[in-house]
Amino acid sequence: MKTIRAPYQPRGGVHPRYHKELSASAPIFRLPLLPLLRVSMSQHLGPPARPVVKKGDTVTRGQIIGEATGYVSAHVHAPTSGRVRGIVDALTPTGAYAPAVEIEPDGQDTWASTIQPCSHWEDLDPRELVRRVAEAGIVGMGGAGFPTHVKLSPPAEKPIRTLIINGAECEPYLTADHRLMVERAADICTGARIIRRILGGPRLWFAVEDNKPDAIAALEQALGAGGNEDVGIVRLKTKYPQGAEKQLIFAVCGLEVPTGGLPMDVGCLVENVATTLAVWDAVVNGRPLVERVVTVTGSAVARPANLLVRVGTTYADLLLHCGTNGPVAKIIAGGPMMGLAQPALEIGIAKTTSGLLLLPPDFVSVFTSVPCIGCGRCVGACPMRLLPSELSKLLEAEDYDGAEANHVMDCIECGCCAYMCPAHRPLVQHMKQGKARVIAKRAAKASRKTS
Amino acid sequence: MDTILVAVAALSGTSLICGLTLVIADRFFALHEDARIEQITALLPGINCGGCGYAGCSDYAKAIASADAPLNLCAPGGIAVLQALCRFMGVESAEQEHRVAIVLCGGDDTKTVHRFRYNGVADCAAAASVAGGDKLCRYGCLGYGSCARVCPVNAIEIIPHRLAVVHPDLCIGCGRCVRACPRGIIKMIPAIRTIHVLCSSKDKGPVVKQACQVGCIGCTLCTKLAENEAIKMDGALAVVDYSKPLENEAVIEKCPSHCIVRIPASRHENHSCTLSA
Amino acid sequence: MRSYLLLIISAVLVNNFVLTRYLGICPFLGVSKNISTAFGMGLAVIFVITSASAVTWLLQTFVLNPLHLGYMQTIVFILVIATFVQFVEFAVKKTSPALYKAMGIFLPLITTNCCVLAVAVLNIQMRHTLLQSVTFGFGASAGFALALLIFAGMREKIDRAAPPLAFRGTAIALVTAGLLGLAFMGFSGLVKM
Repeated sequence: MKTIRAPYQPRGGVHPRYHKELSASAPIFRLPLLPLLRVSMSQHLGPPARPVVKKGDTVTRGQIIGEATGYVSAHVHAPTSGRVRGIVDALTPTGAYAPAVEIEPDGQDTWASTIQPCSHWEDLDPRELVRRVAEAGIVGMGGAGFPTHVKLSPPAEKPIRTLIINGAECEPYLTADHRLMVERAADICTGARIIRRILGGPRLWFAVEDNKPDAIAALEQALGAGGNEDVGIVRLKTKYPQGAEKQLIFAVCGLEVPTGGLPMDVGCLVENVATTLAVWDAVVNGRPLVERVVTVTGSAVARPANLLVRVGTTYADLLLHCGTNGPVAKIIAGGPMMGLAQPALEIGIAKTTSGLLLLPPDFVSVFTSVPCIGCGRCVGACPMRLLPSELSKLLEAEDYDGAEANHVMDCIECGCCAYMCPAHRPLVQHMKQGKARVIAKRAAKASRKTS
Repeated sequence: MDTILVAVAALSGTSLICGLTLVIADRFFALHEDARIEQITALLPGINCGGCGYAGCSDYAKAIASADAPLNLCAPGGIAVLQALCRFMGVESAEQEHRVAIVLCGGDDTKTVHRFRYNGVADCAAAASVAGGDKLCRYGCLGYGSCARVCPVNAIEIIPHRLAVVHPDLCIGCGRCVRACPRGIIKMIPAIRTIHVLCSSKDKGPVVKQACQVGCIGCTLCTKLAENEAIKMDGALAVVDYSKPLENEAVIEKCPSHCIVRIPASRHENHSCTLSA
Repeated sequence: MRSYLLLIISAVLVNNFVLTRYLGICPFLGVSKNISTAFGMGLAVIFVITSASAVTWLLQTFVLNPLHLGYMQTIVFILVIATFVQFVEFAVKKTSPALYKAMGIFLPLITTNCCVLAVAVLNIQMRHTLLQSVTFGFGASAGFALALLIFAGMREKIDRAAPPLAFRGTAIALVTAGLLGLAFMGFSGLVKM
């Protein structure tokens, strides 16, 4: 076991002010139960889950309330015991509407009888481990929400040689993963070993940015000085977006994921530390994913904190605990670079919500954009080696074929280009629109071919 | 004299050879295309709007020539083109109902509530995808003008306070705006109709009242006043059934939210042409 | 061999027919809105000029000169050029109707393109042999195609970049053309012909 400096440096990226000191030393605090939980059926990539309870039903903690629809989908479980108040059409953090199960907790927090802890996971078949992960409804908690059991089942012709546990947390303001590593390092390591067993024993790296020395120390202690050569810690240079999957793989292995490809194409797999901890909880304790750590922070928050909350807790309830100090101009779910601005306070925390950021008016800029001045700053900042200036001009001119040819589909929407742009152009919005149109175009072409 | 003859002979000889080359080339490069396609394309308006469902006017002409397509698909061409096509293809009669577009929303900024300030690309699809759009009503017109931009004849106006309005007289019925609207609230209706329910919100009455002053609250009063079920309820939204006639102006006066309006009909008429043999 | 290479370099770069001699500006400005049309136009012009160079040289040497009909040069040359252009029209219409429609009126206008006649006449003036004529013709048309392609690429990008309203369209195109001409002046003196 050794700790090394990251051998490679991904290109591009920016160095924003991090403001992590607002909450980095706040220990994880378990939020007490509040009167209502609004659990969305759409907390993952893929079609929403189908509600399997109805108004008036009694549920226990960990009981399935929404079944996965299809292979790339995930179960949704009741975060606590109580009564189903109803199934409503509710806003999700993306602004879309999806069915949500409203639960009134009974205060008992009784676990479902189907929970089966397991003390000898090392003896279980890897497929049984994956089944437990699937049953637990675990999705990528770094923000993408990709169902983990699908990610942990790569095809046989794409063996995984390197497993990277992503503790980079490169987004400014967010400290949830940081606190998890400091306080739960031992369980995270066990979770990583479980995933390693599922994938057939690849090389295991824990990747942490060097602005979190206490997290690195905690992991070092948990892993021990043992002679296991296949496990190690990589200290990453602090840069945004160091924690993005493709950039992380490059920093650790020096491999570039091919355009339009996936990490498994270069034999790598990346899992967030929170997801890894959820895997541990699911396998060892038999518990499904029903709660997560959310960093509530920003200069408009009176008492920034890292809260362990049940899925479905509304933003309003989180703010009751943390309080505001002054006017709030913007609320962001996630970090300031890739997070989404939220239109309402009654939206419930999803499995993928890593932070709630409240910004006062002087931290929010309202801009008017002008045509591209051709300065090239965006090109230097893009971690995916794209030409954001060219792409945004093509997308403004609605040339979606040209945009596809210029690799708009490889954009990871990190926001580095928009961050650097002196003309305040809404580059990420252009990219998102462009990607949606290219996907629609491809789907139309596919359906024309088959019809 | 000699010089002139030589000159004329030289030039004539060269011209003859050139001409022969071109004749041979013409044979060699002859296109085996149905000559009618070009003739039919000439009869069509030529704006390539795609309203007929084909890629462009020449594409539609190709379909007509191969008897794959009905003759009445060209909305912009109207009766003139329909008659010309009927005459050309020797078809006795054909009918075409002139349709125009209408934006089924009456909520501009002064009448609606906004959830937040939107600061981004001034395009409806872009605005709709940011937190679901800045209007509290999730069915309402966003007013950024995506429909107006695709209209080939500039028939859509974005009136002050962000609301799209179609001018029926200018509308050629191509349907591009219907496809451009991310909320799907632009519909094609028969050009002669005048009474419309300008709301697309499927939300229940109290929710609509919070979001918009001119939204349909589902009181069903109009369904009782309209003759022979010309207005029906789709959940909490009143919808005009354009296949049935509707003359009773009382629906406009009695609507509590003032969301039923009268819009002067387009001066275009329904087309049907019958060619006498 | 070396002299032929110098001939080509001179015609393409040093004395580029569009950017240095200012001939053939009409299609240069008219067909350069996008690269694919410009490429098609370039190929058409290469074919016309190269073959016209050969045929006009033959006509001059074996018909006009022996019969002392030098004064008929312009008419006869135009006749030959028109024939080749019509030939190209047939070929393009058959092989690529989309390109035919895109080029529009500029395809038959190659006939009146001063660049084509200039090459034919210059070949005679510079007393080239047949092979030299064809090489010079090929070089000149390749230079035209090169200028056209570069300009089309630049115009595509500039149109997207939202120039000030007063400059949009032809205005900024002419400014760009001037700058491109200025850039090509860098080749002057490269080859002494």
